[in-house]
Amino acid sequence: MEQRKEFQNYTVNFGPQHPAAHGVLRLLLELDGEVVERADPHIGLLHRGTEKLLEHKTYLQGLPYWDRLDYMSMMSQEHTWVLAVEKLLGVVAPPRAQFIRTIFAELTRILNHLLFVGAHGLDVGAMTMFIYCFREREAILDMYEAVCGARMHAAYFRPGGVAKDLPEGLAEKIRAFAEDFPAKIDEYESLLTNNRIWKQRLVDVGVVTAEQALDMGCVGPVLRGSGVAYDLRKAEPYDAYDKVDFDIPVGKNGDSYDRYLVRVEEMRQSNRIILQCLDKMPEGDCKLPNFKYSIPKRDDMHSGMESLIHHFKLVSEGFAVPPGEVYLATESPKGELGVYIISHGGSKPYRVKIRSAGFNHLQALKVMLPGHMIADVTTMMGTIDIVFGEIDR
Amino acid sequence: MGMIEGAAQIGGEVANRGFLLTSADKLVNWARTSSMWPMTFGLACCAVEMMQAGASRYDLDRFGIVFRASPRQSDVIIVAGTVTYKMAPALRKLYDQMAEPRWVISMGSCANGGGYYHYGYSTVRGCDRIIPVDIYVPGCPPTAEALLYGILQLHKKIHRTNTLYSGWGESV
Amino acid sequence: MTQDKLDRLEHEIGARLSGLTVERLADVLVVHVGLDNLVRTMTRLRDDIALDFKLFVDLAGVHYPDRKVPFELVYQLLSVHKNHRIRLKLPVDEGVLVPSVAGVWSCADWYEREAYDMFGILFSGHPDLRRILNDYDFHGYPLRKDFPVTGFVESRYDEKRGMLIKEPVRLEREDREPYRQSS
Repeated sequence: MEQRKEFQNYTVNFGPQHPAAHGVLRLLLELDGEVVERADPHIGLLHRGTEKLLEHKTYLQGLPYWDRLDYMSMMSQEHTWVLAVEKLLGVVAPPRAQFIRTIFAELTRILNHLLFVGAHGLDVGAMTMFIYCFREREAILDMYEAVCGARMHAAYFRPGGVAKDLPEGLAEKIRAFAEDFPAKIDEYESLLTNNRIWKQRLVDVGVVTAEQALDMGCVGPVLRGSGVAYDLRKAEPYDAYDKVDFDIPVGKNGDSYDRYLVRVEEMRQSNRIILQCLDKMPEGDCKLPNFKYSIPKRDDMHSGMESLIHHFKLVSEGFAVPPGEVYLATESPKGELGVYIISHGGSKPYRVKIRSAGFNHLQALKVMLPGHMIADVTTMMGTIDIVFGEIDR
Repeated sequence: MGMIEGAAQIGGEVANRGFLLTSADKLVNWARTSSMWPMTFGLACCAVEMMQAGASRYDLDRFGIVFRASPRQSDVIIVAGTVTYKMAPALRKLYDQMAEPRWVISMGSCANGGGYYHYGYSTVRGCDRIIPVDIYVPGCPPTAEALLYGILQLHKKIHRTNTLYSGWGESV
Repeated sequence: MTQDKLDRLEHEIGARLSGLTVERLADVLVVHVGLDNLVRTMTRLRDDIALDFKLFVDLAGVHYPDRKVPFELVYQLLSVHKNHRIRLKLPVDEGVLVPSVAGVWSCADWYEREAYDMFGILFSGHPDLRRILNDYDFHGYPLRKDFPVTGFVESRYDEKRGMLIKEPVRLEREDREPYRQSS
């Protein structure tokens, strides 16, 4: 069969329902043979109108929307909102609350990175990782459940502290977990880090230079994987991060493998932070004793008139926030998660703009994908660690 | 009847008589419930709990539930998360592509009735406006156990259907 | 940001970018820019070694129906090496073309698409200005204050016609009508 054929570029529709899409991404890929020439991500398939809804809720009612933004790292999202509202109010949470929030923010980081390693492994072909990582995720979700009653969407952080103090025995449970966890990371690393297949799929795939990363607005592990040591926990410390000692892992080549290594090392550092926080955590209040902002204890509500009134006022009308505007960002597991709130006084914000890391990272796919084989698309999508809750908002 | 007692009884019967008697409907329903392959239709937060249900602790595999990524190969679609107007056509298309008999589990508040996003301008107020739903699992998100319970409820529902005589859907 | 850092930044900006109004809030500088000097200011902010705003953080549209100029674009910039932030504000009238900064930072691309999608703000020189988050056939600009939370249409599957149809929004509970109103 001597037949020559002219091949033309063709366009493939990837998603919106695809197991490797990490949610609801529609990706239009223009292919030349097996090589991606152009990628056009279509997002908005999970656009839920969070920003509009937040304008119609009080600051306290709006808090749970933050859990649902990036549903892989729930409490980290609350953290941003809570700190921003505190900044508008001009209050600072008591030290114990700050430490509790730091512990849970770091547990959440582990939670997120575990899912990253597990799901990324699954995408690339390492099924076992998924099973291993979800084992530890269950342990952390149990801690979530112990502290707030819900396995995922906690609504535990509140402006002015946290909802409740840690229940009895939880601190010891977290310590036991944290002492055990480095061995578990070794276990994951023994499966992946020097695995030949893993390296073949990841090394030199999706290289982003530092300039490109900055130009594309990449933050968090993606920026650090490209060699820029910028971490908001160090650059603009919030809560108890200036009272603990930790390192920022930085990559060298900016490829998928470096980003994987950065995230694995971040899990170790998070573990360090958790242990230090447990040691240093002071006794005392876990929320502001000022009932203008924080809900009184349930026991007091049963016996005291005033507490009941405070509770009623807070959950029905909400607290009034002075006029002003604030942009506040925290280092969520995916990178800089920022919120820009404009308050015109009253109990509801005038405008809320959510700045999510994934939005930029997905945009960077347009730069990362061209020139790669179609099989690398899943690697690249795994390595930027996207979640559509926060991208589409 | 517990699983172990049931197994013992069946075992005894086979040893005694060398064969089993059952009705065709029961046999069909037994076959259907024993390997329900759900389609991974993870949309939002609930998808994580769905993964959690499929992973180490809850391990859906022991019920013969293996997640399939293709509508053509799956029996049940678990709508896990918020359905938006932009996603709705895709949801319907996937449902239409599934082969009969097919079932739908609506997982979580958003899929049940819009939930926390009920009043939003871009969210469908319940996925039952797009596709018919068999089982609603409440929660935001429902725990993995709740999903498991929902799947077992669906099993019960399937056991109640009389496929050969009447009932809904196509006959065998 | 600390106060002496703000002082230094205010000084640098005053020395390098003349003719701009700089407002000082508690912890950040707000620079008020105009349509004519937006791209020039942005390029300077990015390239000047003392300012070094290499990272485009955010672009937020805001709608003020009572103002004479109803829209405002709020840009947030960050320098990862100098570790300082700045905020820029640009008032925009209805239907006015805003010069795109997608040529300065490529990631501004999607942010401008989002502002167009949510507020109907138009950008000139943008590579690909179309809706991003809302549905392909969406009508209206949802984050404007005169847009109701529930929107105007909802879709459902019509069994008879065998297709998805759009209908005017009908809420089951009348007591939730406040959501129909815009704020």
